[in-house]
Amino acid sequence: MNKLHFKVGLFAAASLLLAGAFVVYLLHARGFFEDTFHLQLAAASAEGVAPGVPVVFSGIEIGRVTTLGLNEAGGIIIHATFFERNAKWLKESSTFTLDKPIVGGAKIRVDTPDLDAPALPDNATVLLLTSDISKEIPALVERVKAVLDNVEHLTRKDGEITATLANLQTVTGRMTGEYGMLESILGSPEKARAVTDSLDKTRALISRLDSLALKVDGMAGKADQWLFAPDGVAEQTDASLAQIRLMLNDAQSSLKKADAMMTNAVAISADVKEGTQDIVTLRAEIDDAVSKANALVNKINQMWPFASEPEVELP
Amino acid sequence: MALMAAVAALPDDVARVALELPLRANLSALDNIALIPLYQRHYDTAESIRQAQAMLEQLGYAGIALLRDPDMTPAERFVTQLARALILRRPRLVIDRPGAMLYDEFYPALIRQLAARADMTGTWEIYDFNWNQVLYKQALDSE
Amino acid sequence: MNFLAASIESLGAKVVGWFTVGYAMFAFLAKAGLLLLDPTTWNRATFDVVVKQIYFTAVQILHVFLGYALVISWLIITIILSTARDFGLTAFASEMTIRVLVLELLPFLTALFVALRSGSAINTEVALMQVNNELDALAHCKVPPMQFEFLPRLIGGVFSVVFLAGLAGLLALLMGYLAIYGISTAGFEPYTQTIAKIFDFTILAGLIVKCALFGLAVTLIPVTAGLETPKKLFMVPVSVLRGMMRVFFAIVTIEVVSLALKYV
Repeated sequence: MNKLHFKVGLFAAASLLLAGAFVVYLLHARGFFEDTFHLQLAAASAEGVAPGVPVVFSGIEIGRVTTLGLNEAGGIIIHATFFERNAKWLKESSTFTLDKPIVGGAKIRVDTPDLDAPALPDNATVLLLTSDISKEIPALVERVKAVLDNVEHLTRKDGEITATLANLQTVTGRMTGEYGMLESILGSPEKARAVTDSLDKTRALISRLDSLALKVDGMAGKADQWLFAPDGVAEQTDASLAQIRLMLNDAQSSLKKADAMMTNAVAISADVKEGTQDIVTLRAEIDDAVSKANALVNKINQMWPFASEPEVELP
Repeated sequence: MALMAAVAALPDDVARVALELPLRANLSALDNIALIPLYQRHYDTAESIRQAQAMLEQLGYAGIALLRDPDMTPAERFVTQLARALILRRPRLVIDRPGAMLYDEFYPALIRQLAARADMTGTWEIYDFNWNQVLYKQALDSE
Repeated sequence: MNFLAASIESLGAKVVGWFTVGYAMFAFLAKAGLLLLDPTTWNRATFDVVVKQIYFTAVQILHVFLGYALVISWLIITIILSTARDFGLTAFASEMTIRVLVLELLPFLTALFVALRSGSAINTEVALMQVNNELDALAHCKVPPMQFEFLPRLIGGVFSVVFLAGLAGLLALLMGYLAIYGISTAGFEPYTQTIAKIFDFTILAGLIVKCALFGLAVTLIPVTAGLETPKKLFMVPVSVLRGMMRVFFAIVTIEVVSLALKYV
């Protein structure tokens, strides 16, 4: 009838239609029409995680954290909800990593190396790694390798220690032989003590490496507990830990070898009450190796402060 | 001034037509009149409009229905105000100083003519300055 | 000492003035609210006046308003996007755009737009009605002006601001999508995720309530300011001036309070 009424009616109808469409779209976006898929993430610490933290796969958000809390045993349980359509990215081989970038909010990153792996069941419980540790593991492996190389370099067949010992033997042979009088000229109590000091330091290092190896063993044990399946999500972590364990054993045996040789050397030099220039060099090199190994041990201890923490109970 | 105060103090059962009670400026004559049945007696729009139109026709001014206040002549404006007062159906009607509103008309004759057309049961009273009394006499004489 | 006493007195006068204004406003609002509950209000005539008000407040300016919303949205989106790119924060650009534009800036600008256009007109009209005795005439006829003069304006204002802000917001969402992803459906999924993240239902309800309050402020305040006008023609501009100042402060207050509720 009336043009004015027609226009207002058109405006109202169009606006209501758009508003209705937007509400439907919003309901769709928020997954109102969709089944959801739930996961429980078990973590050692909930720091940085809050309801609403997104779970991203290849940079695309596929779900978000809904609730988090402690379970009966004091473990942390994070519930995450995914749309059914995104559940296909979650496989048994997927790893869940908590990323805390310097700028922006925390997010949980999902990496699925093998998309053909069996799918995770609804309401499954998986382990949430903290990116700090998982990122550091390769770097740690490199450092252990470097120290190991150093120790190996010291104890190789034609290396300095062997050569020095050979030298020493020759000298001692000579000294105990017809040139026995030389000891009073060449030797000094300080030099002998330097060798003994190095020996003590090496021994201390060996005992620390021992305890560290035990700790790494403990870590691996805990990781096993987290896994729930022998070759589950934390397989990579486990493998890395095993690798470190092997390297530390290696370093340990090398140092033990050095220890044996040093003992030998000390025994000899104790006889002659004397050292040579070679022994001074040897001591410097051993000191260097020891300090590097010490730094490494400290670093490892920092990274896994688990020794002082109660074991995390997981469901 | 005493007179104005007396007019202002008139009781509720009096419908007034006065310069101080103008029409709603952005409504047409018809809408101005229809407001009363519409909002006082809660008739629907069509019925209210019909009643207003009937009132204007009765007064002989059906043509001004769609005009707004600024487009009306003083007489038309006065008729609309009068129609609005009549549709109130109060027992007394007071026209307050018609000379102020009907400045371009010989108003006693116009009012008499309108009063003849309106079939109102109550009384009509005209309040005017006494120096204008002579005008009403003239109107009577001319008839 | 005298100076101090005088200042305190003038302050007191001001405070009393504010209270009077605030009281008048809320009393008026209460009256309008009560009338809304009265079933006799809901007749065809009131509806017609409401429709007319919506026409004047929203439909008549729709094309101008949407054009203006388009330009503002485009500018703000471009600024946010280029800044985000410069700082390597592109991931946050879409969220930032939606938050700034749809939730804050566009409702605020809509309220200002309606206030400048319809609010000032309403204030002037009511002031003139007051000065011309038109309201006295209505009172003499025992026709309450609330029903066909004021209430429809309030309803029209609320409705218009809510719908105009909504339309502008939808337009901005569309523009944001086009600016970030271009004409392609590739970004639909992530954009939907961002929208889903921002618009939970408290936020949506809060937005609607905020727009409704804006709509109420830009009509209620001019009406009450107009009603306060002394019966002198030269006071009409003063009344409009005061009314518009109050509208501005009310809009800013609503915005600040809504921000505080959201982020503090």
